[in-house]
Order: sequence, then structure tokens, then C-alpha cells
Amino acid sequence: MLPAGCGPRDDEEEERPQPQSGSSTEHEDRPSPKELEELELLNRALEKALTVRKSILKTPLETRGATGHKWAGEAHAPKKAEEQQVPVSVEDVPECRNVKAGSKKPLLLKKPSPYQLRAPYRTDPDVKKLQRKVPAGCVSQGPRTAGKISSKGMTSKQGRSHRTAAGASGREVCAAAEPQETPGLSESAPNEQQSFSGGDSAAGKNSMAAGKQLLDAGKKSSGFLAESSKKEDTACAWGRSITPGTGTLQEKGCQLKLPLPYRKAYSRNSRAWERCRLCQTSADAAAARTRFMERIQTTFCSLKLTPSPAEIEEELRGLQDVPSRLRQYVEAEPADPSTLQEEYESLLTLEGVQTTVSQCLQKLQLLQEALESQLRLHPDCTGDVGSCCPACVPVRGQMCDSADMLAVPLLCYSSLQELRDLFALKLQVSMLHQEIALQKVMMAELLPVLEARPLLEGSAGLFRAIQSQLCEGGRRFPVLVRDELLD
Amino acid sequence: MRGQRREQHREQHREQHREQHRERGSALPAAVGALCRALPPRARPAPDTLRRARFDRPQASLDFWKLLYVLLKQIHGGRWTESDAIGAQVSFVKWALWYHGYGRPQLQRLPADGSAGSRELLLAFSWLLHSPGLLEQLLARNRVQPGDQTSVCTCGDELPSSQEGTSEAGPEERVDVRYLQWLNGRLRLQWCSLHAQHQEQCKLWYKIHLFTSGSHMDQNLGHFSVTETDLIRQPENYKQLLQLLDSETKQLEAFLEWKQLEPVYWQWMETVLDNMAEEGNMCESQNVHVEKRRLPEATPWAAKLTGQMDRLSRDLVALQEHLHQLVAQRKAAWWEKVATREELQKERFSATARKIQESTELKLRGLTSLCAPKKKMHGLCRLVLRSKHPAGRMGFGQCGSKEAVAAVSAAEVITELQVREASLQRELQQLRQQCRHRLDGIAEGLEGVICISP
Repeated sequence: MLPAGCGPRDDEEEERPQPQSGSSTEHEDRPSPKELEELELLNRALEKALTVRKSILKTPLETRGATGHKWAGEAHAPKKAEEQQVPVSVEDVPECRNVKAGSKKPLLLKKPSPYQLRAPYRTDPDVKKLQRKVPAGCVSQGPRTAGKISSKGMTSKQGRSHRTAAGASGREVCAAAEPQETPGLSESAPNEQQSFSGGDSAAGKNSMAAGKQLLDAGKKSSGFLAESSKKEDTACAWGRSITPGTGTLQEKGCQLKLPLPYRKAYSRNSRAWERCRLCQTSADAAAARTRFMERIQTTFCSLKLTPSPAEIEEELRGLQDVPSRLRQYVEAEPADPSTLQEEYESLLTLEGVQTTVSQCLQKLQLLQEALESQLRLHPDCTGDVGSCCPACVPVRGQMCDSADMLAVPLLCYSSLQELRDLFALKLQVSMLHQEIALQKVMMAELLPVLEARPLLEGSAGLFRAIQSQLCEGGRRFPVLVRDELLD
Repeated sequence: MRGQRREQHREQHREQHREQHRERGSALPAAVGALCRALPPRARPAPDTLRRARFDRPQASLDFWKLLYVLLKQIHGGRWTESDAIGAQVSFVKWALWYHGYGRPQLQRLPADGSAGSRELLLAFSWLLHSPGLLEQLLARNRVQPGDQTSVCTCGDELPSSQEGTSEAGPEERVDVRYLQWLNGRLRLQWCSLHAQHQEQCKLWYKIHLFTSGSHMDQNLGHFSVTETDLIRQPENYKQLLQLLDSETKQLEAFLEWKQLEPVYWQWMETVLDNMAEEGNMCESQNVHVEKRRLPEATPWAAKLTGQMDRLSRDLVALQEHLHQLVAQRKAAWWEKVATREELQKERFSATARKIQESTELKLRGLTSLCAPKKKMHGLCRLVLRSKHPAGRMGFGQCGSKEAVAAVSAAEVITELQVREASLQRELQQLRQQCRHRLDGIAEGLEGVICISP
């Protein structure tokens, strides 16, 4: 049972894998007795989700704030924390109280980032409260952090979410102070001290972007909690060596510089690519090569004019979407054109489409013949068919010009929405491919089951299941009604 | 007498060859060496292998089979291990060469244990250098990319075909259809979560790209990728990346060297052909006519392709019939209108008619390009955030022949994907419709039950 008011949840939040939600729904909302068990389950589930997330999120603290926010929203274990009894004054924080749960999650949060520390930052008064109860090592820093926490628009969604983020990450860090995290944590801590003075003056400023606030709060809490780690000293020293006033990624991002060795390697590499792309085959080489190719082709047994199987496949790929596109043209034509001109135009268009269709059919015919003649030369598959003729042969760039292949392949997008649409569509296409493949297999397997046997009384349920699976993709079910009016 | 003359001619010819060979002699090892170094690191042969193959030494055969196997697998995006059996290697290489249109029958007749035929393989290798552009393809495929990558290919062949049978049939022998339903639901859930993760990944990428705009030294890119941003913070983690970049640079330099020395190599290959001609090897093929073999329908590739072709032809024929009807209808209506209206017979209308024809031609220009195979970019692309205003940068895709970057815009890919999605949806709906018909037939057989579909 996931508590309703559990943090802001927007569409992009990662859905939990099945077992995790399953396990949390079994929990009762009661302290102590099964708590350890529940915590253990939740730990495991979060770990699992974390390993997935880790592979995606190799981003600096800037985005950590965002993820922190999401995590907080998702940490739905409806139980109270154990030792870290946090008197939560915020409405949505209670659910996110899982102290031990965030075992490895803090790893994401505590990446050292020299450019992310900066002067005025905003924090949240509730973070202060939460962290007050934190174990001994942390407590000393508590008041200071608390002092820095200025109040912002609490009612804003970001405010709430980052509070939650701060809270959640704070607790989690506290719970699992792992050594490798400390450099990052403690690094921000001394800067907190430095920016302490700035904090008050910053209190009034409200010009920061929401993301920054998220980031700051997240940083701060984690930084603060780093004090509790053992490697505090070394980490602090390292932290202090970072120049103060280095900003967030948002501020300083445009001034960052890649390290010199990488820059050198990169520019050498791209220059080499460019030279390769521009280098032309010399005339003698081209002549010699053509001579060789012609001579060897005279020894081939296939006719030179038939396209190779690779070319056939490539052409076929090009033709695959043609019916859809042509249908678009046809459907775009108005069914009942008003003026004469429109009618004429529509007629011409349709005729044009018609000629294209017949051209395509001719082409297809040629391809079919070519395929047949090529298949006659097919090598004998001795033994395992699968190994010698792989079903999926993703040979790319068959028709590409050699030089084009060496150009830098870039995919340019101009907005976040475009990027998201692109990925959503890619996923949709893959999913459709899979669904089609599955549909074919299921048709082959399930329909004979129903067609073969004489239908017994009890097979109505089976029929319904198969109907829904095959015809509705398992999303809807037909209604089976007893035909009792017959008698 | 004549015979002696001919003998002498042949001797002279051979002498000439040997001389040329000696001249080339110094350049040839360099060319072969450069060629070997231009191949990817894991598939690099020793120059000796090629040399031994030239003389058809059987010892070089195994190595050469392996070389071709690895290279062709890389082009085809397949996986291979060190321990793949020689029989499998041989059949794959034979198939791949057939696939690319290499038609020498002698190659197909080589023994399956890989014990002979190094010279044939050398010929095939050289042919591959030109015909699908082996080197360029390998370079492009194995490109070291420190960027955020995604593929723009809409082909959808990426689903791995696992040949295993039913893995988990549940505790009992018979599989319950409810298990199937449950699996289906789980699959959908995974897709949803994958979708959510992708969306989140997009958001994070966007942030990084946006925030680091203007920092990259490469003007084409303009901003850092995730890897590069992380590189700034933790340079020590990325030593391997630097090494890969360096080794790729060396490979590219070897490629350039090879391009310079290419003529020598091709002349050398011609001597191989000459030798074979002398041995009477070549004449054989002239007399080889295509034997009538049974078409191997069993191969999955051929089956897939014929399936696609059949479906395509069905679609097109259906569309043609539909259009036929539509056009006939429209034409009849049109001629009716024309007959009744006087003004159409005036001059004025013919002018407008011409204009309409031109504009329709423009509209339909897109159609003719439909049937021509487009230059599709497969492979991975680096994501680059670029605002819509190029702001005086070099016009990509506008200058004629070769652009510095093969930039594809997301908008184009999106439209392509939308078309792809539409055709796939139609295909799925057709399949479902088939099922519906058959199930309706079955439903009639259900005693005393009425089925109401949703």
C-alpha cells in the first residue's frame, strides 16, 4: 500500500520493478515487529533499482538533486525510522523515512565536484530538524547547517520536493557512511562553513533556479553529514583545497575545460578522422583496383547484373514503408473536393500515386527474381543452420559512400521535448517489432489448441484468455455470456 | 618453333613480372603492414599470414579463416568468441561472402575443416576491401565515442533471435495460459519502466548538454557529453578512454599509409590472379554454369526476406486495387462535371490545369524518391544539442559533396520513426484481425455461450 501523499510523483518517475512494489504492499503500517524484514526487502529492491539507475546516472551533483527528489518520492516504505526518529513536520516526509534503506544510493549523491560549491545557497529548515537527531558525529554540525538553512517558498513544489530530497538523502547518508563517499561529502562541508556567512545574506535572494535549489539542498545535507565519516580529515583537507566560489554545473558549465591529455588525444583523433575522410584514392590505386575487381568478377559464376543478397535486402528495407506513406498521400486527399480545381488536383495526385504503386510492384518483382537466382548459389548449410545463416543480419551502411562512413555521425536535437519524443518513438518501434514477433508465435501455438480439440464446457475460460491475448494484446477481455435463453 | 616462341614469350613475361615484383618488393611489405595495422586490434593478422596465403600455404588457411570470420562478424554486428569451431567459422564466412555477392565457386568448395584454400581466402579478402569497403566499415563501426550515443536505425533487426526452446515451462509440464498472460503483463511492465528510464535519461542528458554549452573545443559539438563531464571531475577513471583514442588514431594513420601504398597491393593481387590463370584455375569457372539446386527455404534469412516480400506485395496489390477503384470513380465524376460545364472548354481552364499539374508534380516528387533506397544512417550517433538557429555555422548538408559531419536532425528521425510505427501498427492490426476471424469461427462452436468482443 503506497501512501497517497507520498511526495510529488510525475510521469517520469521510475516505476518500481514488480517485486519491490509487491513487497511493500504486503507491509502493515506498524512499527517494530516485522520492521527488519521489511527493511531488508526494501533494501534489496532499492539496490536493484539503484544498479539500474547507476548505469544511467553518471551525472554530477546537479542532477543528483533531481534524482534525490525522485527517490524521495519513491521511497514509499510506510514505516517509521528506527533510531533516527525524525519528528517530521512535513507532510510527505514521514513516508520517506527509510534510514537503512538507502544503502548504496548515497553513492550517487556524493560525487566530488569542485565546481559545484558556491556561495549563497538555499536550504530548508526542515532539513535542519531532520538532521538534528542524527547520530553523534553529525550533531556538531547540526546547528551550523541549520543556521544556514533559509526558508524559501515552502509551498512550491520544488521546495517540497527538495526538502524531501534533502531529508531522504540526509538520512540515508547518515545511515550508510561509506568511505568512498566521504570525499564528496566532506568536500562540500568546509564550503558550507565558508558560505555560512553568505547564507544569511542569501536568504533574501530568490533568483535561483529551482534545480539549483534542489542541488544545493542535496549537497548541503550530504556535505553536512559527511562530518560523521572517519575520513573526515583527509577529505576536509581535499575539500579546502578547492577554490571557493566554484559554482554549480549550471553556472560554470560553459567555462569548463577538459583536461589537457584528453584534449590532445581528442584533437589528434578527430584530425586523423578528418584526414581519413578527405583522403581520396589515388588514380593508380583506383585503376589497379578496378582491374583486379574486373578480373576477379569474370570468374564469378553469378551474373554481374543481379544485385547481391545484401543489396536486395537493403532495397527491400527501403520499400518497406512505402505502402504506409502512399496511404498517407491517399488519405490526405479530400473525399469530396469542393471546387473543380481541387477535384482535378486530387485526381492527378491519385493517379500519380497509382503509377508509383505499379513502379514499386515492378521493382518488387525484380527483387524477387533476383533473390531467387541468388538463392540458387546459396552455400550449403552443413550442420547447424543457425550458425551459418544468421537470421538477423544487420549489415549497415551497405549503400553508403565510403567517405560518408568516415564522417562524424551526429544526431542533433533542439529541445528536450524532441529528445524525449525521439526516444519514446524508438521504444515504441522496438516494442511493436517484438509484439509482432510474439503475435506470430502465439498464433502458431495457441490457435491450434483451440481448433484441434472439440470444445468442452470448461474451455470458455481458455477461449477468453486466448482471445484477449491474440486479439487485444492482453489488454481487454471479451465477455462471454451464457446463452440461456435457448432453453 | 611456334611452341618455343610462345615459351620464350612466357619466359619474358615472367621475367618482367619478377622485375616489377622486385621494384614493388620494398613497397609491398610496407603496404601489407599498413593494411594489417589498419584493421581493428582484435582482428589483426600478421603480415606473414597474407604472404603465406599468396603462395597458398595450407598453414595459413586456419588463420585466414579466422581472420575473415572475425572481420565479417564485426561488420554484421554479431558476436564471436575465441572458441568458435572451425566448421562454424567456415560456414559463416562462406555465407557472408555469398551475402555480399562474392561469387567465386572455388571458395564455396573449400573444405569445411579449414585446412586449405588460403589463396582463395586472400582473393576474397581483397575483394572485401573494395566491395563493401571493409576497412572503412570496420573503422566506422568500432569508432571510439566519448559521447552520448544512440542509434538512429529504424530497421528493427536488433531483436536477438534466441534459438533456445521454451526455457521455463513452470513446475508442471503443461503450460497454463495464465502463465502466458502473467508473462505478458510482466513484459509490459518492463517496457514501461524502460520507457520511464529513457525519459529520465533524456532529461539528464539535456541538462548536461545545456549547462555545458560552449565549452567543448570541437565547434561541431559545442557541449560536453556525460562521459566528458565526468572526465573533468575524475580524470583518473578514464585512462582507458585515452588509450583507446590513441590506438584508434594509430589505426587511422595506418589507414592513411595504406591509402598511399594501395597501388602496390593491387598489383600484387593481380600477380596472384596471373598465377592462378597460369595454373589453369580460372578457366574452370567459365564452364561452370549455375547448377540447378533446390532453393534452400530452410535458411531463416531467406525465409524472413521472402516473408517480407510477400507481405509487401500483398500490401501494394491491395493498395493498387483500392486506388484503381478510387481513381475510376473520381475520373467518372470528373468527366461528368466537365461534360456539363461549358467554361471548362475555354482556354482559361487549360492554363489553370497546367498550373495544377505542375504543383501536383512538385507534391509527388517526394513519391519518386520513396522507392529509391535512401541513405540511411545505421550505427550509433552522438547526441548533440543544437539550437535551431545555426548562427552562421557551416551549413550542414547544404554544401554539395562532402560535409564534415554527417548530421541527422532529430526531427527527420522522428518523422521516419512515425512512418515506421504506422506501418508496424498496421501489420500488427492485420495479424490481429486474422486471429479475430479465426476465433470468431471457433466461437460459433462454443456451446451455449455468446462471445461479445470488446
